Amino acid sequence: MELSRRNFLKSGVAAATAMAVGVPISRIASVAAAETEQDWRWDKGVCRFCGVGCGIMIATQDGKIVATKGDPDAPVNRGLNCVKGYFNGKILYGKDRLTQPLMRMTDGRFDKKGKFTPVTWDQAFDEMAIQFKKAYEEKGPTGIGVIGSGQWLIQEGYAMTKLMKAGFRSNNIDPNARNCMASAVAAFMQVFGIDEPPGNYDDIEYTDTVVAWGANMAEAHPVLWQRVIDRRLGHSDMKIVNITTLRNMTSEGSDLEIIIKPNTDTALLNYLAREIIQRDAVNQAFVDAHCVFCAGPTDIGYGMRATDKFAFEAEKDIQAREVEVTLTRDEAIGLGLDPEQVHTIKQANAATADRHWLVGFEDFKAGVAPYTLDFVAELAKGDAEESLDAFKAKLMRLADLYADPKRKLVSFWTMGFNQHVRGTWVNEQIYSVHLLLGKIAEPGNSPFSLTGQPSACGTAREVGTFSHRLPADMVVNIAKHRDITEQTWKLPPKTLNPKVGSHITKIMRDLEDGSMSWVWVQVNNPFQHVANANHWLKAARENDNFIVVSDAYPSISAKVADLILPVAMIFEKWGGYGNAERRTQLWREQVPPPGEARSDLWQILEFSKRITLAEVWKEQAIPGLKDEGFEEGKLPDVMAAAQEMGYQPEMTLYEALFETPENKAFAWPDPVSKGHDNHTVKHLGVDWFVEKALFEEYAGFGRGHHHDLAPFDVYYQDDVRGLRWPVVDGKETPWRFNAKYDPYVKNGEIEFYGGAMKELTTGNLTGPTTEEKTKFPGKAKIFFRPYAAPVESPDGNYDLWLCTGRLLEHWHTGTMTRRVPELHRAMPAAVLDMNEKDAEERGLKRQDAVWIESRRGKIKAVIETTGRNRPPRGYSFMAFFDESVFVNKLCIDATCPISKEEDFKKTAIKIYKV
Amino acid sequence: MNISGILVVVPPARIEDATRELNALPGVEVHHTEPSTGRIVVVQEAETVEQEIAALSRIKALSGVMLAEMVYHVFDETPPEWDATPAEMAAS
Repeated sequence: MELSRRNFLKSGVAAATAMAVGVPISRIASVAAAETEQDWRWDKGVCRFCGVGCGIMIATQDGKIVATKGDPDAPVNRGLNCVKGYFNGKILYGKDRLTQPLMRMTDGRFDKKGKFTPVTWDQAFDEMAIQFKKAYEEKGPTGIGVIGSGQWLIQEGYAMTKLMKAGFRSNNIDPNARNCMASAVAAFMQVFGIDEPPGNYDDIEYTDTVVAWGANMAEAHPVLWQRVIDRRLGHSDMKIVNITTLRNMTSEGSDLEIIIKPNTDTALLNYLAREIIQRDAVNQAFVDAHCVFCAGPTDIGYGMRATDKFAFEAEKDIQAREVEVTLTRDEAIGLGLDPEQVHTIKQANAATADRHWLVGFEDFKAGVAPYTLDFVAELAKGDAEESLDAFKAKLMRLADLYADPKRKLVSFWTMGFNQHVRGTWVNEQIYSVHLLLGKIAEPGNSPFSLTGQPSACGTAREVGTFSHRLPADMVVNIAKHRDITEQTWKLPPKTLNPKVGSHITKIMRDLEDGSMSWVWVQVNNPFQHVANANHWLKAARENDNFIVVSDAYPSISAKVADLILPVAMIFEKWGGYGNAERRTQLWREQVPPPGEARSDLWQILEFSKRITLAEVWKEQAIPGLKDEGFEEGKLPDVMAAAQEMGYQPEMTLYEALFETPENKAFAWPDPVSKGHDNHTVKHLGVDWFVEKALFEEYAGFGRGHHHDLAPFDVYYQDDVRGLRWPVVDGKETPWRFNAKYDPYVKNGEIEFYGGAMKELTTGNLTGPTTEEKTKFPGKAKIFFRPYAAPVESPDGNYDLWLCTGRLLEHWHTGTMTRRVPELHRAMPAAVLDMNEKDAEERGLKRQDAVWIESRRGKIKAVIETTGRNRPPRGYSFMAFFDESVFVNKLCIDATCPISKEEDFKKTAIKIYKV
Repeated sequence: MNISGILVVVPPARIEDATRELNALPGVEVHHTEPSTGRIVVVQEAETVEQEIAALSRIKALSGVMLAEMVYHVFDETPPEWDATPAEMAAS
């Protein structure tokens, strides 16, 4: 009986698989597929993991997910899934799923040193509010913070942004996406004046060349990688290049593998720019019509604290580089300075690293002039065992591919570029190369920043959940943007705080130095994923801080929290994500959350009921606030103006910000639900459709302003699989800035219409020489950025590089994927991948347990010399999914000074046998 | 028990050999083929995800395989039959 049932099921799965990918099958087989699935309710969803945004179909029965499949109608993945697709169904059902609020208590009362004890939601929110008010009264809006996520649903990120910025008047909200793609964002804004890529994934099917820069696509973005491999099968001229610091799975599918030293990508890109000019391959008409040239300061530090007051003794030598740096020989050459002289440079522009000004083409040309083949090859060659001539030949081959005017080319990059002490620069440089060639904003020619999280774009960036942002690319430190936001949110003038808040690493530093003492974490695991973790773990547990963590599983962050709030996961709630190609995708609640678990959105709204306007819209001290129209160090009392607008001091933030008459007009139930439940609405006890109301309110910011989203209901239509914004007159925009595809282009065929930072002073490579500003609407910027050495490099003591990253089977900090028990056995512990000869030299062999030590801490791990990552001599790699091998205890918390994104790729370590 | 539907693509000329090689792998059954495009639909049955991933790697390692990716997952949680005949008794 069992056997025949199994056989029947397998026939059904086979037939359904064939149908999903369009392999023709017999009528009998299709009947088998239908019968297998007949008792299941199917609905469309989107994968919860990486930023590719694959469509999946979800089958439920009796309140449980019973099957998932790649969505054949999804243009992103066309029926395919990678192994992570599997997790979508499995992650809900881990044995240690959190199902009730837990608070540290002793004798029935909150106690920081107490044990986690189950409490009711009311008890949880009551204590959370007491602690909030204590921190807020004492330290003001800067004394509290929120660490959010690129996995937040659009509505969750929006609600929290509104609560923090409009309600609490605090800009201390920042997503984990800061450490994922902030460098990409900063470069988008600086180069184009608007965030997110011009092109889309379809470029793969139009191109002749894919170059992966610091992106192990085969492991981190496997479905997209399959599209790349597929393109090569059908297109004989297709070439694939992998530019990497170690041999990885992406090398397997590549025609050309270029192994470089850490941070030398900046030099390599200048070599390409130089070659393009030398070979007369500049697309002069394009550059003249659509580009300007720019430069910025180079003495910008490394995003560390400027003081060593909190540093461990061993950290202090590197910490000192935040203040003053002696250039390496290569840096001097790259800056056009005499390499025989000592150049000691005060890092005077650490706080103004994003300054830039116009320069001429001749300045740019002079800037890249030192980056000759000889200089760059010697500097960048990453594999000591490769000959210099062989490496030079590869660089020339790379230049051939880029410079060939007939060859279409897509550059993909991820964390190798973004997690980089010069992450913004290197993002800008790849655009410089594409802009010089005019290879941009048309099918097949595309510089494309891949993302690592499912809604890094949709929520973190588009909603604007960063410490400096507001929705639709607006920022808190521009008065006009605050005005627009205050009007849309119906706030009294000057409610919003003009001072940029703390980014994620700074929130951790604030907890350590006492400037912040209350923090709420949602949909991420910062106490594992932020570098230099020993500092932050201690700050969480030893300082008088109150840490709230909303989580589905007992992650590291939950374990160091004072209060844990159990959350509903992905398909247990209504929501939406936006992927890396600007595609917004929404889904319905499919199954109920377990136990007392509730959506993050419900938690935000419930908490907002515990704070009144009188507590937040009074005068507030903001240390360091200096802005036109504000008294120094203060936000004004806006309560009187608020009362004129109809608000009352005793109104709660829930009433003032969320349960507005406009929002209540969206009734629940709604026909779009098609019988699906909504636990958020149910437990709020309301009759309005919270997720729809918030989506529409948010979408109002972008419509008519380059960021148009379609109406909520459209995304739920059976024939829609997400839409790429701007969606204008019902049509999505596949390629932006190109008149053929983008209705926002008003002047000419190509127009880089993004409006930010399009008026600058003019000067030369060393600085501006005029006060006068020039406007250049519609143009993109070609930046000159020099080579900069990593903030720390191996030396006689710490003698190996350590790079961290992701593996196919596990995702990020492993909070979810480690809960798939069989999978955890497949990849139980993170190993240190290193070169066999480096191991031998230290008297070690594979599978030896070793201590790995940096200036910041030490951990124990097993070494591997024959894994799928094969580092060259002097280099090692470890994934960061495993909390028992806590690699972020080792990593330096230096950041790109412009983007504030940490560099997880370059820490100096030493290893020795346990 | 996990059951997955996997799409395998090989050069059309290799489809017969590949079908044979796939069927020889433990837990793998070829269900549908499309000779003109070299596409093969297999069903993979495995006790654990570990085995499932190992099996997918084996499929990818077969000669001429250009693509092998999972499409469909069923979480077959049929309760164990506590009263079924234990394997060691059935063998005797």
